[in-house]
Amino acid sequence: MSSIRKITILLIISISLILFFLGSSVYYYLSNYSYADFYKRLEVRASVAEKRYFESNQRYAQVLKNIRQEHLELLSDEKEYIVYCPSEAALKQIAETNSIPINLLNLVYAQQFANFQKDDIFYYGKKRETPKGFYIVIVSAKNYYNTHHLILLRKVLLIGGLISILLIIYLTHLFSKRFFDPIDKIITKVNSISTDNIHLRLDDIKNTDEIKRLTTTFNNLLNRIEIAFETNKNFISNASHEFGTPLTAIIGEADVALLKDRTPAEYKEALQKILKQSERLNKISQSLLYLAQIGYKENKFNYTILRTDELILQANEIMNQLIPKNKITLDFELLPENPKKLKVMGNKDLLMLAITNIMTNACKYSSNKPVIVSLASTNNEIVMIIKDQGIGIPESDLPFIFDPFFRASNTAAYDGYGIGLPLTQNIIKIHKGELSINSVLHNGVTVQIKLPIAKL
Amino acid sequence: MEKKILIPIDFKIESLNTLKHALEERKHEKSTVILMYSAYITDSITELLFYNPVKIIKALASSDFNDATAILINTYESSLLSLKIELFTGINKNAFLNFYEAQGIDLIYLPKDYCLKPDKNGFDPIPLIKKSKVEYKEVAWASDHSSTSKNELNQLFK
Repeated sequence: MSSIRKITILLIISISLILFFLGSSVYYYLSNYSYADFYKRLEVRASVAEKRYFESNQRYAQVLKNIRQEHLELLSDEKEYIVYCPSEAALKQIAETNSIPINLLNLVYAQQFANFQKDDIFYYGKKRETPKGFYIVIVSAKNYYNTHHLILLRKVLLIGGLISILLIIYLTHLFSKRFFDPIDKIITKVNSISTDNIHLRLDDIKNTDEIKRLTTTFNNLLNRIEIAFETNKNFISNASHEFGTPLTAIIGEADVALLKDRTPAEYKEALQKILKQSERLNKISQSLLYLAQIGYKENKFNYTILRTDELILQANEIMNQLIPKNKITLDFELLPENPKKLKVMGNKDLLMLAITNIMTNACKYSSNKPVIVSLASTNNEIVMIIKDQGIGIPESDLPFIFDPFFRASNTAAYDGYGIGLPLTQNIIKIHKGELSINSVLHNGVTVQIKLPIAKL
Repeated sequence: MEKKILIPIDFKIESLNTLKHALEERKHEKSTVILMYSAYITDSITELLFYNPVKIIKALASSDFNDATAILINTYESSLLSLKIELFTGINKNAFLNFYEAQGIDLIYLPKDYCLKPDKNGFDPIPLIKKSKVEYKEVAWASDHSSTSKNELNQLFK
């Protein structure tokens, strides 16, 4: 509510200021103009009167009189004075007999001509020198336009301004309400979503683009939060399952062995089975620890400049030792000509681990079908693509593949405990890279790794 | 010898395979490349008022598409002198021949099996080019049918 009021007040203040300046400037310039114009009109009348009075040719004087009567309208209270003025001392007497302001006469005497205003009467005076002495020509009139039109204009401006301000108050309130109502709705709805009903989503609003974008942003955020919730739940169940299976096997084996007396060979066999399961347990807990370490000690690794093509070649050699039957093909067709564009800043051991992890997965889940590893570089990233022809990942499992201990539903036949991918993702993440996985079920997986090129 | 090459595209990464094969073929010669996107010009007078081919091209090129062109530019840095994307809005043979002449094109590469899939305002200029009786070469590559619907960077690779 407060921001509606804020916007309304701001708009009202700014628009009233603009209106005020507009109105007062219109009024000011128009009244200035009307004064100047009125004096001009008086001046014209004065010069016509002067010409007529001093014209020796009677016909010409008559023509002037006609022009005056026909073409120059009579102003309200218009008066003409043409007075003889022998000296400056006579001015006072002239003023008294004709009831003309003495100040005007003084001004005219000093300046040849002058404008003057007394109350609502305007004067224009002019001095004429003749061989006999000075004459003073004065025309005076009331400014009807000024007294009536300008007052009307003032009224119109004031009332119009007030009405438009009222209208603006109403409109801004209406518009800001219209704008903020959907936001209010969103706020109430988002507030109503808690951990119990995290599946709720905001309704689609067809109103404005921005509001619609806001709702979709909220909905996407809620989607991600929901997935994170799910991940948490999955992690606990998956982890307890992963730890539980070998423990059950160990307990079962030990129970069976202790049921009755056994031969040393039988004990040995039982102990070996127990050892195998314990090793598996150890491996899981160690990799879990490693995963946690990478997640928390981001800054404690040694970074050097590495060439990614060399990294891939070395990873391939490791793969040849680990899985001699692999069919990995390296595709360097789109390698950039400039070797600088292959260099990244990173920790060699970690990146090697990430790449071999992806390669191992590719070989493992495709039962050693061909795997293509390609490398290229854009202007600021190197792009590594590892394509296999394996069993793929079901679409419903794709959001969870980076969760520790999560295993896709179609991987039961393959050994593993769901640590590799989250580990790889963490490694790529601390190198400020991007790991994306695309897959079509039964049609293989394409892993794309992007790493920023080192700035040398 | 330096040649100016024209390649029709649809702003899908797969269509850049024509460029990849053309550049691979001409690895030892210099070339300048013009990627041509064909689109019908709008009927709306207000849209024509703000018509700007640079903006249209920018809106059509996704960041993945830009990455893919950057990859090809980096790969063929020494033989590829320049690469630019042009909008072709003609609708008949003469308009294309005009474009061909104005840009000073020497050679056209066309995809053999791949069918351009332009956006709603765009069209496939290949029949027009073939009708124009100018010199062109067709290149073929194995299309990856599993992911044709998506516009992914890996379509540029094997």
